[in-house]
Amino acid sequence: MTFHPRESRGYTRREALLRAGGAAISLSSIPGFLAACGGSTPGTTSTGAAGGWPVGPGGIPLARASHPVTLKRWEDPIASGMKPETGGTFTIFNYPAYIDPAVLKAFGKKYGVTVKVTPFDNIATGVTKLASGTVSPDVTEMTPDQLPRVVAGKLVKPLNLDYIPNLKNVWPGFQSPYYDVGSRYGVPYTVYSTGIAYRTDRVKEDIPNLKPNPWDIFWHSQKYTGKVALLSEERETIAMALLHRGIKDINTEDPTLVNRAVKDLQELYKICSIKVGDLQYENVPEDKAWLNQAWSGDMLAGYLYYLPNKQTGKLLRFWNPGYGNGPIGNDLWCVCSTTKKPVLAHLFLNYMLDNGVGYKNFVDFNGYQPPFNEIQSESLIKKGVIPETLASSVLTERDFGPKALVEAGLTNTGESLWQNGYATFTSGA
Amino acid sequence: MYPRWLWPLTALPGVVWLLLLFLLPLYAVLGVAFGNVDPVLLQPIPAWNPADWNTSWFTHVLGQLVPGNAFWDVFVRTCEYVGLSLAGCILIGYPVAYFVARHASRTKSLLLILLVLPFWISYLMRMLAWINLLSPGGYGLRFLSATGISSVLFHLGVISDPSNYLGGQSFTVILGLIYGYIPYFILPLYASLDRIDRSHLEAARDLGASPFRAFWHVTVPLSKTGLLGGAVLITLPMFGDYYTPNIVSGAPTTSMIGNQIDLYFHGGPQPTIGAAITILLSAFLMILMLYYMRTIHRASREIPA
Repeated sequence: MTFHPRESRGYTRREALLRAGGAAISLSSIPGFLAACGGSTPGTTSTGAAGGWPVGPGGIPLARASHPVTLKRWEDPIASGMKPETGGTFTIFNYPAYIDPAVLKAFGKKYGVTVKVTPFDNIATGVTKLASGTVSPDVTEMTPDQLPRVVAGKLVKPLNLDYIPNLKNVWPGFQSPYYDVGSRYGVPYTVYSTGIAYRTDRVKEDIPNLKPNPWDIFWHSQKYTGKVALLSEERETIAMALLHRGIKDINTEDPTLVNRAVKDLQELYKICSIKVGDLQYENVPEDKAWLNQAWSGDMLAGYLYYLPNKQTGKLLRFWNPGYGNGPIGNDLWCVCSTTKKPVLAHLFLNYMLDNGVGYKNFVDFNGYQPPFNEIQSESLIKKGVIPETLASSVLTERDFGPKALVEAGLTNTGESLWQNGYATFTSGA
Repeated sequence: MYPRWLWPLTALPGVVWLLLLFLLPLYAVLGVAFGNVDPVLLQPIPAWNPADWNTSWFTHVLGQLVPGNAFWDVFVRTCEYVGLSLAGCILIGYPVAYFVARHASRTKSLLLILLVLPFWISYLMRMLAWINLLSPGGYGLRFLSATGISSVLFHLGVISDPSNYLGGQSFTVILGLIYGYIPYFILPLYASLDRIDRSHLEAARDLGASPFRAFWHVTVPLSKTGLLGGAVLITLPMFGDYYTPNIVSGAPTTSMIGNQIDLYFHGGPQPTIGAAITILLSAFLMILMLYYMRTIHRASREIPA
């Protein structure tokens, strides 16, 4: 399964990023964005396993930018023009501290409900709780790779986009993404990429210009032994090892490729006593790690909240592999099947896509970038939110173009292959 | 007079507790380990009837538990860490428990409070404290360097980098385990030592035994149950520990079997593997437990009424 940047085995970097209020990122407003995020032919429907295309949960074809998937509605969406339900509690199922309480309070006040957040540790346990019925939220956070699973399990409801006019505020490619053509079940929330964070006072290599491949730095890091770390996520680590070999199919289910990537990762034991973890936003600024696989925004959070006094932000760098060279991803909101307030749930999705609300949630609390047309990197830099040296932390629409490397859903066999590979790597064997 | 059933009845809550919160969950884990996985939602589908058990997950785990494979390496490492941590706890904990039980007359209450004090702080917080202590510039690291301890440990080959205890060193994980679990070891040992009748020691001395021989031949055997009790109390959770290596090391080369269980239960399509490892680990620990029970049984028969 794909792990989300907010998933960690001990502490969430969320706790840091929630304070990274201004963390920002940005986007150019290149018009005509991607057919990409939505594939080149949004609106087309995959026909499942026909032609040998692999299928995931419930027989739903695996979504790829080159192979967009229209998810079948398992029931009719709610009718248009209904009034929102009021009174009682409105429950949001989400990562801990991943949404601004002030934003939620304003929503509750606007619609006369008490808003409650029920947290989950990671998306997998979230899906498990939804499936087991131990929670019955109104809306839930979701990731594209898990979307087919919750749709096949009828855990989320089809949307009526009449209630979500603010969908127009997001990048065009996310208005009809390849994993859910027509946004039948979800609307986007945030975006992120994976690269390398490092300290310029410790790491002397010019990582962005390292030939033949900047990812190779991990295999040449003997002199940084004990100070080198990877993200503790199976998709991220193995994908990085694949990219180190120049293999850009980071969703491969070829055992030969995955197992070789695992062997490459195992070499790092001796090379640099490699560590895994999700505290890069803290460890790099505090000099505990010098070279660390990281998500976009980590060094921004580190700069804002973890860099000790007297140290300058110039020490920190984030190498963003750039379009088509490194993993990128996003998450989304869905309406749960268990909701007793389906209209209000739709309005919540619309509320989160409001330019003002989304921006406030982003810069005042969340730190993760929503894919909004209106958010401009230039203005954020001008405001001093983003230091110039960390400008590479900023994502743009182009990063989600047709050649973007997305850690997409796998077949169950593929997920097992990756999980066993990661287990082998983390066993230290 | 009390009715005959009264005292056995007092065991009922404990029995119910054991059935509901130990045996039933244990059977559930067994059912998961021998069950299947829902292909859509990846939920385990337990096989309650042994006739329906699917042994393929077990076979997979057993296949990995042979020399040269992943689970074997991590299992052996876990045994090493637990063994060394236990040895450390005995070396540090026995003198402490002995002192409190035998020589701390007026300060005994205070010392007992101090021994219990770590329980007031969560295990996680205590482990996190080590991060700051051993970080660059941390007081712990500075102390170890200034006293030359780091240098000695380095030259003995115990650590590979005297300036980076958090860089994936086995020593740090073992240190964390000892620090985290030693209070659980000392308390039952103290209780055992405190119960030893001093007249036994006096008899030994009267019969010409040196203080050391009296200690070795009287105190140690009589404290064996406490020693084993404390050992069981700490080794069982140590075998399942995964957060200590996560926090103080983070390196795959210092991971323990608990990390593998956590990984498979954390999500993904193979919770059954996590359950299978859990069952095998429980079976292994059961062997240790049986040894403990046998020893306790023998000891109770040997101690004169």
